[in-house]
Amino acid sequence: MTRISLPNRWNLPDLGLGVGLRTQHFRHITEQWPAMDWFEILSENFIDTEGRPLHFLDQIAERYPIVMHGVCLSVGSTDPVDFEFLDKLRALAARVRAVWLGDHICWTGVAGLNGHDLYPVPYTEEGLRHMVSRVRIIQDYLERPLVLENPSTYLTFASSTMPEEEFIARLAVEADCALLLDVNNVYVTCRNHDLDPAAYLDAIPYEHVVQVHLAGHTDNGTHCIDTHDGRVIDEVWQLYARVHERTGGRATLLEWDANVPKFPVLQQEVGKAARFRNGERLAATSAAA
Amino acid sequence: MSLARAPKLATVERWMQAVVMHPEGAASGVRAGPARRLMPQAAVDLETVVLPSKALSSVERLDIYAHMYYARLLEILTDEYPTTKQILGREAFERACRRFLRRHPSRHRTLNRLSEKFPAFLARHLPPGNRGRLAVDVARIERAMEDVFDAPQLELLTAAGFAAIGADQWQRVRLRVIPALRLLKLRYPANDYMNAVRAKGKPRIPRPRATYAIVYRRGYQVYRRDQMPEQFKLLSALAAGRTLAAAVRSSIRGRRASPEQLAAMLGAWFRDWAAAGLFGAS
Repeated sequence: MTRISLPNRWNLPDLGLGVGLRTQHFRHITEQWPAMDWFEILSENFIDTEGRPLHFLDQIAERYPIVMHGVCLSVGSTDPVDFEFLDKLRALAARVRAVWLGDHICWTGVAGLNGHDLYPVPYTEEGLRHMVSRVRIIQDYLERPLVLENPSTYLTFASSTMPEEEFIARLAVEADCALLLDVNNVYVTCRNHDLDPAAYLDAIPYEHVVQVHLAGHTDNGTHCIDTHDGRVIDEVWQLYARVHERTGGRATLLEWDANVPKFPVLQQEVGKAARFRNGERLAATSAAA
Repeated sequence: MSLARAPKLATVERWMQAVVMHPEGAASGVRAGPARRLMPQAAVDLETVVLPSKALSSVERLDIYAHMYYARLLEILTDEYPTTKQILGREAFERACRRFLRRHPSRHRTLNRLSEKFPAFLARHLPPGNRGRLAVDVARIERAMEDVFDAPQLELLTAAGFAAIGADQWQRVRLRVIPALRLLKLRYPANDYMNAVRAKGKPRIPRPRATYAIVYRRGYQVYRRDQMPEQFKLLSALAAGRTLAAAVRSSIRGRRASPEQLAAMLGAWFRDWAAAGLFGAS
């Protein structure tokens, strides 16, 4: 098999396999220094605090590469850009020497409020123009590319004029931002909107993808919720394998935020990705579980 | 829907926010005034704004977000106020939380400050009586624990550093209280109650009795304990920026003791506070 190696357009490194840094594992990590290529932090958990979380993060950042991933940048909001918040992000990025930082393709609040959730925008030309403009402003201010993630979505606006994947692809190209492709979110969104995840993945401009997320979700039958509370299902591993075939390797991260298990379980789960990164073919995915 | 009739992005966002933050769920939110004023057509025919899926109606899809909004923030409040919840009971606590979130929705990007007005809200809205008043006091302690958790660290004044402050300097020296200290004058023995909950599970609601609690962080550990009224007065005066001499005078005024006894008492207090790390080095 010919292995493809498609660089991202910023030559950001393939950091290998990482997991989300969670408070439950602070002690284990700083006492055992376990094998892990890198950690991703939730930016907001380390902003406006000078207590225990930063104490541990400083130690961990000394030994592992750190990527910052936020949930409240609200790039799709029609409120003014919050430059004070960007200053805080920039300061934290400097403190932990973040390899990159990002957030989600969504909005989280408007009119000065915050819902602390990832709300979709209507996928319209107006929405695209608005988000491209905001992402450019933020990138210029931060002087680095933003790495933006496709969210799990649970509704479709009737006013949308293009599919989500087209919106994301155009956003990446027109704002010249990087993408974090969450393959679990692709699965969840496609289940919720009766879409074909393979077609979704085919629309992604992979030269913009610098990172991949893996996670578990809750399947309610009528819809799926992105709960990050369990192992990655086979179908999502298959999507990951497909992405790997298209890119040849991207920094890969497992998110596990509810019913958080002991650290070795995370190591084992994210370690499954190594099989695909080592060239295992798509057909072998059923053995991944 | 044609492009010409498509609602503006800002309108859609305000409408969706009004709907998903409605305390009675999306169906009520769509019909309620704020959302209705923004997009009246949605109240008549929701599918013109949000499409159904094969399995879910438009309102069911919106309800996923509405449910998650309250579930997520209730989880935060439950984590931050476990003993307040224990006192009020789950149902009354969650009812109070929902009313609080409706009145004080989050205005910050981080969740650290979500509940900073919660104790004051409870004080205004809980029914009078021992249970409610105790809950307010406990909520004040639990909120203070959140505050000091995130407060900045200082280089600390040690007991030796304090001992090195000569008596001749007391008239002008002002001790710097650490940012991670909160002083709480309470109407109930709330700190004792919290200890009893930790030890036994469900103590009786106590009668009112004034208590004076401090909540502070030493290193990365949060502590809470009661102080005597004079100690509390002295710490409060120091926190207010009074000189050491003035603070001491105000706190021990009227106390019957020899100068030697007072010196011994104050020495013990300051050694204890220095060991607890309540003062900054500069």
